[in-house]
Amino acid sequence: MSKYYLFQDQKRCIGCMACVAACKSRQALPRGPFPSLVVTIGPRLVGNLPRTAYTFMPCFHCENPWCVAACPTGAMRPRTEDGIVTVDPDLCVGCKTCISACPWGAPQWNPETGKAVKCDYCYERVEAGLEPACVTVCPTKCLYFGTPEEIPEIRRERYARARAQDL
Amino acid sequence: MDSQTCSVKKLHDQIEQTLNNGSLSHPRCRQRATEIFDLVHDVSQGLAGDDHFDSILELAQNLVDEGLTPACRELGEHVAAFVDQHQEEFISHIRTHTCPTGRCPMLTPAPCQMACPAGIDIPSYVTLVGQGKYAEAISVIRRDNPFPWVCGLVCTHPCEFMCVRGRMDKSIAIMDLKGFAAEKAMSAQSYQNPEPGPDNGRKICIIGGGPGGLTAAYYLALRGYRVTVIEALPVAGGMMMVGIPRYRLPREVIDREVAMIESLGVEIRLNTRLGKDVTIESLRSEGFEGFLLAIGAHGSYKLMIPGEDDYEGVIPAVSFLRRVSLGDHRRPGKKVAVVGGGNVAIDAARTCLRLGCERVTILYRRTHDQMPAHHEEVVEAEEEGVSFSYLTIPKQVQGADGRATGIVCVRAELSEPDGSGRRRPVPVEGSEHVIEADVIIPAIGQEIRPQGLEAFEEVDWTRRNTIRVHTVTMQTNQQGVFAVGDAVTGPATVVEAIAGGKKAASAIHRHFEGIAQPALPRVPVRRRRLPHFDLPASLKTDLDRPKMHQLSNDRRRITFQQVHLGFNEQQAHEESKRCLRCDICIRCGRCVEICRDKMGIEALCLGYLDFDTPGPTDLRITAERCIACGACATNCPTGAMQMTDRDGYRELSLCGTVLNRLQLEYCEVCGAVLGPARYHDYIVKRVRDVSPTSNGRRICLECARRQSGGQHAEITPPPR
Repeated sequence: MSKYYLFQDQKRCIGCMACVAACKSRQALPRGPFPSLVVTIGPRLVGNLPRTAYTFMPCFHCENPWCVAACPTGAMRPRTEDGIVTVDPDLCVGCKTCISACPWGAPQWNPETGKAVKCDYCYERVEAGLEPACVTVCPTKCLYFGTPEEIPEIRRERYARARAQDL
Repeated sequence: MDSQTCSVKKLHDQIEQTLNNGSLSHPRCRQRATEIFDLVHDVSQGLAGDDHFDSILELAQNLVDEGLTPACRELGEHVAAFVDQHQEEFISHIRTHTCPTGRCPMLTPAPCQMACPAGIDIPSYVTLVGQGKYAEAISVIRRDNPFPWVCGLVCTHPCEFMCVRGRMDKSIAIMDLKGFAAEKAMSAQSYQNPEPGPDNGRKICIIGGGPGGLTAAYYLALRGYRVTVIEALPVAGGMMMVGIPRYRLPREVIDREVAMIESLGVEIRLNTRLGKDVTIESLRSEGFEGFLLAIGAHGSYKLMIPGEDDYEGVIPAVSFLRRVSLGDHRRPGKKVAVVGGGNVAIDAARTCLRLGCERVTILYRRTHDQMPAHHEEVVEAEEEGVSFSYLTIPKQVQGADGRATGIVCVRAELSEPDGSGRRRPVPVEGSEHVIEADVIIPAIGQEIRPQGLEAFEEVDWTRRNTIRVHTVTMQTNQQGVFAVGDAVTGPATVVEAIAGGKKAASAIHRHFEGIAQPALPRVPVRRRRLPHFDLPASLKTDLDRPKMHQLSNDRRRITFQQVHLGFNEQQAHEESKRCLRCDICIRCGRCVEICRDKMGIEALCLGYLDFDTPGPTDLRITAERCIACGACATNCPTGAMQMTDRDGYRELSLCGTVLNRLQLEYCEVCGAVLGPARYHDYIVKRVRDVSPTSNGRRICLECARRQSGGQHAEITPPPR
């Protein structure tokens, strides 16, 4: 597991896709691949009101990733220093096994380079003390990036507040 | 120029690096640099037009003029200087679509085309023959060689020695396909001349109507010159006509192709010998500004043995063949000895048989393996009954009553290889013997007869008694006088004379138009970029080079009818489908490397890709092992290897040869295409230790994402 964690406060997310666009533009990707994607769920009627949820789906940087096991060339590796799973474009030959192996569809296909591409938490920015591109551009500040200890206890607080209103 | 570097590719990589290293900080500057990069990329991909060159220079100048940052200015200056310095290479890439270094994959020429002295775009015409487009095939060939029919019958076909298919089984019958296309097109009256350029009023005189002279005439006429050919003999065609016997090259073939050249307005004056029937002054007064000497090599080397000049019956091969070609079909004698081991010796011997000579023997001082004559011709001569006496050195001609009666020879043995690796024939002492012969035909080489050229006083001759020309301009020491063909190279082949004629036409044009002569070696031109044939690997493997039908041996011994009867249409089509299309697949071996070293699958067995030390090739084995991951296709620099989904199957093909075909599976949710089962098995095996994925369900990555997104969604009830 990566030592970092990217948390989305779904309640604040308005589905503007700024994070998705920033992600693509930082990696200069052509049409097709979305290393991170906001999945739109709904609208569903909840108590006679239409509700929509937006789930931010980057890579989870698993502890024991399928993509790494599937990769025959050793291009897909977790970084030793922080566990971020990255593709080395020099080693990737474009067999797409990582893409097919991942249960979440995180590795994506870049048709221009003929190689796999994926969310790498913008590790170069992180190393420079910055946040990933998606987090930086979020207008509602619903994305949080940091170590798991730093992630705010939003859900817990919100739950507690809702309980309190019940009283 | 170092043949391993390509300036276009070098600039391409330099700009790419500059773009990627972030030194161009200004957005407009980056935009300009990207535009330059795209243009250079077009040049290296063969997509560029003539305007690309000026546009690159203009954009580079913009970078300099705007001078937004020092890095921009530096890049602009570099590009402008570099492109200017390597102008010829850039223009050559744009016009010829060929990169002889092989650094630009899309422009790498096929080995056969590189081997052809005339640089014919062989893969393109072979494909057109397979498509049944004979007239188009002929027009592709005639861009580089105005004698496709002649060359389709008698070319020495160096292309076939370089044919990559020959590394797999047998080379493609490149020459025969050319002859087939020419015959078909001529018979259908679709063999046509291209439209000549407008008359430019300049008059050029070509001395000698052989392949070199007529080729130059053809390409000059197409450029708008008024061309006159002076021919000493009563027939046009030079050595094609009076050197190559009719049973190999029928007269009609030469006549028809010469007539095509004449119909472009080229005047051919037969029976006109320079220095006798016309003089250089009379020609100059007719208004000829340029002269091309293409007189060939119609003299013979003498044996330099006693008796050679003393008896009737010693006839040099070139004179003999000329006499027969011009209609003298009298039998020269009963017993013939031909001296020499080249193609001319074989031609003379086979001609003698056809004239009714009872016994024909070829005397050669080395062994069968060292004969310079083509193997097929030696075999055909043997079939017809020519006998060979190897390791035999003539020593003296014997005679009686002024007529030759025999030739005294000594036997020889081969020495141990000397410093140059050659084994020399060494006479064996006391082995003199007499070979009876009333006709002795020396065929040991030809020389140039300079008679008639005395008027060209400044023309310089080499020690080998050939005309000295500048190798690029084809010009002799005398201004406006050019030379070509055997007269320059010494006795050579038809296709070499044709190549020289084409080069001379271009050099003459540049001379009169004041265009700079090229500084770089000539490169062949890629004329077309044609799609390949789709066929299964098994068929591609099984197709065999067809055996050409020949005239019966009896007819061959008594008539001058053409020996090779040509392919039929089906044979020609199948033969063209055997072509591996080396204009598309440049045999870089990247596909094999990736499949074997990176993927660890070893599904590609393409030993023929290694030209010098070919390994085994098995196109059919791929279907047994390949998982259709597509890494080979993704990394193919030219698109020769392709993976496509068609009719429910995923197909891997190399230049149209279907190597593997696996049934596709589809997403259980949305029906999108997934890979074939064998591909999934490969992945499942690899990730077995992690944990099973998707519980064995087959879903696409879009649906996988959407499903897991849904599982994580928090749609909460609204607050009260």
